[in-house]
Amino acid sequence: MAYQTVTVTQARMPERRPRSRRDRGMLPVLLGPSALLIAAFVVLPAIYGLYLSFTNTQLTGSAARNPKFVGLRNYEYLLTSDDFGASMWNTAQFVFLSAIIGQTVLGMLAAVLLTRKWLKGKGAFGAAVLLPMVVPEVVASLTWASVLSPREDGTLNQLLHVFGQAPVAALQTAPMLCIIAVNIWRGIAFAMIMFQAALEDVPEELIEAARIDGAGAWQVFRYVTLPLIRGPVFLYLLLTTITTVGVFGLVYFLTQGGPGGETRLTAIFIYERAFQYSQIGLGSAASVILLVLLMVLGLTYVRLAKVDV
Amino acid sequence: MAATTTRARRRIPLVVVIQRALQYALITLLALFCLVPFAWLLVSAFDADAGSTLGVPDLTLDNFVGFFSGAETPRLLLNSLIIAVLGTALNLALGVMGAYALSRFRFRGRKFFMFAILLIRVIPVPATIVALYLLMVQVNLDNSLFGLILVEAAQALPITLWLLKGAIDAIPMELEEAAWLDGMTRYQAIWKIVGPLVMPGLGAAAMLTFMAIWGDFLTPLVLLQSPDLYPLSIGLFRAFTAFNQVDWGLLTASAVIYMVPPTILYVILRRHLMRSSLGGAIKG
Repeated sequence: MAYQTVTVTQARMPERRPRSRRDRGMLPVLLGPSALLIAAFVVLPAIYGLYLSFTNTQLTGSAARNPKFVGLRNYEYLLTSDDFGASMWNTAQFVFLSAIIGQTVLGMLAAVLLTRKWLKGKGAFGAAVLLPMVVPEVVASLTWASVLSPREDGTLNQLLHVFGQAPVAALQTAPMLCIIAVNIWRGIAFAMIMFQAALEDVPEELIEAARIDGAGAWQVFRYVTLPLIRGPVFLYLLLTTITTVGVFGLVYFLTQGGPGGETRLTAIFIYERAFQYSQIGLGSAASVILLVLLMVLGLTYVRLAKVDV
Repeated sequence: MAATTTRARRRIPLVVVIQRALQYALITLLALFCLVPFAWLLVSAFDADAGSTLGVPDLTLDNFVGFFSGAETPRLLLNSLIIAVLGTALNLALGVMGAYALSRFRFRGRKFFMFAILLIRVIPVPATIVALYLLMVQVNLDNSLFGLILVEAAQALPITLWLLKGAIDAIPMELEEAAWLDGMTRYQAIWKIVGPLVMPGLGAAAMLTFMAIWGDFLTPLVLLQSPDLYPLSIGLFRAFTAFNQVDWGLLTASAVIYMVPPTILYVILRRHLMRSSLGGAIKG
């Protein structure tokens, strides 16, 4: 056996070396196009955005043709403006209540329930939870436009009627609550998938042992399961925070940031400033602030996830 | 046999029965919460006089006939298909080449490149869209399907590269080396040996990329100005926000047509989806 291995290796060695050196030339051919495309359409815009944020570039008008360097004025304006501050506060509320609280709690509930051995119809329940994530965001918003309709026969109002409540125009009176509900609805599935994977790694003996010691379902979850999946849960929280900060279409389709800017998330603020008020410089500065924030979160994620290359 | 089963069943105490009933109730409520919003969409699409809210339908297929025979609506579907199919094809062609290089060559900066594209993955479209638009205007690629296809293919490339690199890593190098000894060139070995084995990974990457491009809203909203270039996402948005009367039957039928491809792909992907590695790739 040993003898054979040696001969095979010897036979291969002289063949391998020159080949790998010759094949070096393939590297730019293979990786070049991907690197170029990513550099041109993702990295370059990020860098150009940084440059634009120091100028007074406009979409139209004289400042569109020859923009001037204005230093940190855009940032000064943003950090002292109520509009931008409000949009950051809206984003923080949106992320905290929909992603960190809502999706996490309901996703965990779905994941835990779907690991129950006695539960029948797991496939159907799982599919139901996944559907909101699978459809395009525009379709997701459209369905909720009808649910939240101010008309008496809107789905929400009919439900309220069953409980003897008066109809509401939810998108007018509690718009932030509405978009939070919609985003929870859309994100339960992602949380569920992440938590199911984590729960699979929890040894069953530990749970059995706790049961035998007389622990109830909640106690088992709180003192055995949860401490064991703390790592994956924390990684999920980082990931969902990052993706939720980038939510645009889901909210813009439904409210366009209104009424009165109550649902103007930072992503919507950027879009409005740059493309509706044509203030490219200002929009870019807001983009850079968002970008830096996300990079910090992203770096933390990569560090903690111990991603292997 | 029958006697043992009955005895075993009797042994479940009442408390446990109540607990289970409660948990069934919880998961049912959760499923209803997820499904009920779709009721109006699915019913109205088949309703002759659909409104903005759920009602008893006057069943018909006219809304779908109207979609396919309309003056503008078939164009929306065609544009969506052109953008998503060509974008996915470009993304995969570049992705498979790049992933092969990342998997098989050890070169300086390889780790940096892998981490860099992982970080790029966290940049959402809203954070770069303003500068991207200006750049596209300067190179005359705004308001063009070709420009949009390039951007969409590039945005989905980091995930494709990561997915396919993992898939190629799993193929033993020895298989390729054996093929070289049999006289194949490196490119022939990639085509004949790696190609067939990477197919499952390629399929998963194809579906994820297609779904991401198909569902994108902000990029076409900013880059396209001519209505005859609009994909379904923008068409639906314009129809929904039109100040004049909204044709709810046509709008919901369009939305149903729009959600069919990703839903079918999801059914195919479902088994893979349950694994978190792909789950992480699919969101956002």
